[in-house]
Amino acid sequence: MLAIEDIHVSYGRLRALKGISLTVAKGEIVCLIGPNGAGKSTTLAAIAGGVAASKGHIKLEGQDLAGVRPETIARMGVSLVPEGRHVFGTLSVAENLRVGTYMRADRSAVAADIERVLAMFPRLRERITSPAGRLSGGEQQMLVIARALLTKPRLLLVDEPSLGLAPKIVDQVYEILLAARQQEGLTLLINEQSSHRILKHADRIYVIRNGHIQLEGKAADLADGEAIKRAYFGFGEAASGDANEEEDAA
Amino acid sequence: MIGFLQNLADALSLGSLYALAALGVGLLFGILRLVNFAHGDFISIGAYALIVPSFEVTAQLFIGTWNWALMIPTVTLIVVIFALISDALVFRPLRRANAPTLMIASFAVSYVIQNGILMVYGARPKAANLWSGLANPIMLGDLRIPMLQLVTIGVTLALMAALTLFLKRTPYGVMMRAAAEDFRMAQYLGVRGNFVIGLAFAISGILATAVSLLYLSQTGTLGPQMGVPLALFAFVATVIGGMGSLLGAVVGGFLVGFVVIMLQAYLPEDLRVFRDAFAFAFVILILLFRPSGIVPTRALIERV
Repeated sequence: MLAIEDIHVSYGRLRALKGISLTVAKGEIVCLIGPNGAGKSTTLAAIAGGVAASKGHIKLEGQDLAGVRPETIARMGVSLVPEGRHVFGTLSVAENLRVGTYMRADRSAVAADIERVLAMFPRLRERITSPAGRLSGGEQQMLVIARALLTKPRLLLVDEPSLGLAPKIVDQVYEILLAARQQEGLTLLINEQSSHRILKHADRIYVIRNGHIQLEGKAADLADGEAIKRAYFGFGEAASGDANEEEDAA
Repeated sequence: MIGFLQNLADALSLGSLYALAALGVGLLFGILRLVNFAHGDFISIGAYALIVPSFEVTAQLFIGTWNWALMIPTVTLIVVIFALISDALVFRPLRRANAPTLMIASFAVSYVIQNGILMVYGARPKAANLWSGLANPIMLGDLRIPMLQLVTIGVTLALMAALTLFLKRTPYGVMMRAAAEDFRMAQYLGVRGNFVIGLAFAISGILATAVSLLYLSQTGTLGPQMGVPLALFAFVATVIGGMGSLLGAVVGGFLVGFVVIMLQAYLPEDLRVFRDAFAFAFVILILLFRPSGIVPTRALIERV
């Protein structure tokens, strides 16, 4: 469904991505793991059209996304939930939920979909008329995920869904993401800083550090976490069996 | 007491014009982070669109003679087209530019429009009579209020109500508010960036047209720089109201109108020529005590 080939992204002189390649197949849950500043968020933003790659290709079902506007990529069925809970703070919860539905062709189905999403997130129903800026951090995270689901994406990109949330709420968020995947045939690409939770849910994992993919593999094969740890912290690469180590071109 | 009420009516009417102009400025600032100094020139275009192009001192009304039901939409359309053209030619290529660059570009647009007017209509101010029938006063007890002031206040309130309804109740309004708050996030949700910005320019043009018509019928004169002081006071109104807040722009507009009129009325005669200096001193005072304006928004901080 999604194929990224050797993309490079720079912010001014800072090189954030130095040749990232990855693929996501339809229906898969793929997770990017890596420390802060590794390039996880930049990778997702590049897919969603928020930052331009200076080199390389991003292909969605064969179509090259170079130069395509973010709103067009969203209309092609890719929805990004960026890091940091970008709710529209002065808009009500209901308005936040509706923003992403205006581009949909099946306008008649929207009301029922909002109902369904509110059933998944009863907290949001209670706060439906409140300005989104007044919600708690956990409620805001639920809102941005609910809002993204309402765009009816085929590919959902979620940047650090668990950042700053209580473990119980994180579990809830993952439950809903998994349920959405079951019901709607959603494909998921998720960023996380830590691997222990995502290992249970993901099909495949990429470890990213310093703008490079350090390791890729099936979640089941990496379940003991040792290889991930080595790739993540950047020592003992030689010992990791299936580490897909690249030379630092810089 | 009657004197004060009379002044209050003047203040409301002048404040209405400032509030309308400030809304036009504030709307674009909200969406684009553009401080549009060319807004005053959109106002000038609306006034000049009414008259026959010539260098004569007495302006001959052209579109201005039409029935208002035809004239208002036509003039509005002309101003909106100019606003959209300035977006397409100047601001769209600068989408990734920072706010100071956008502001300087708006100065350039302003000069181009002013010089365009100079070329077509000449530099001399012109007299024009628009809706002279509205000058007749209405007596409310002992209070004489020119019909035009009531129309000005009424039109302003109606436009504000319409804009509020648009922003709160329609999909496009919700999209505009979302884009004003977090432009990139709105795009990630499929909101078309250029469309929303174009919409903001168009609405800003509609508001500018209302100011042109009301201002021209009050003053009866046109000049190539007629919109500049209006834009300046509108800008001041958005600053003291709180940049990025439309409610703030309206409050600021009325406040500036109120202060200007009351200074005019109650300053000692010798000091009246310095009215604007006192008005701006008052603005500085407000900003000393409320640096982010009367209705502060977090929009500015969130953008960083």
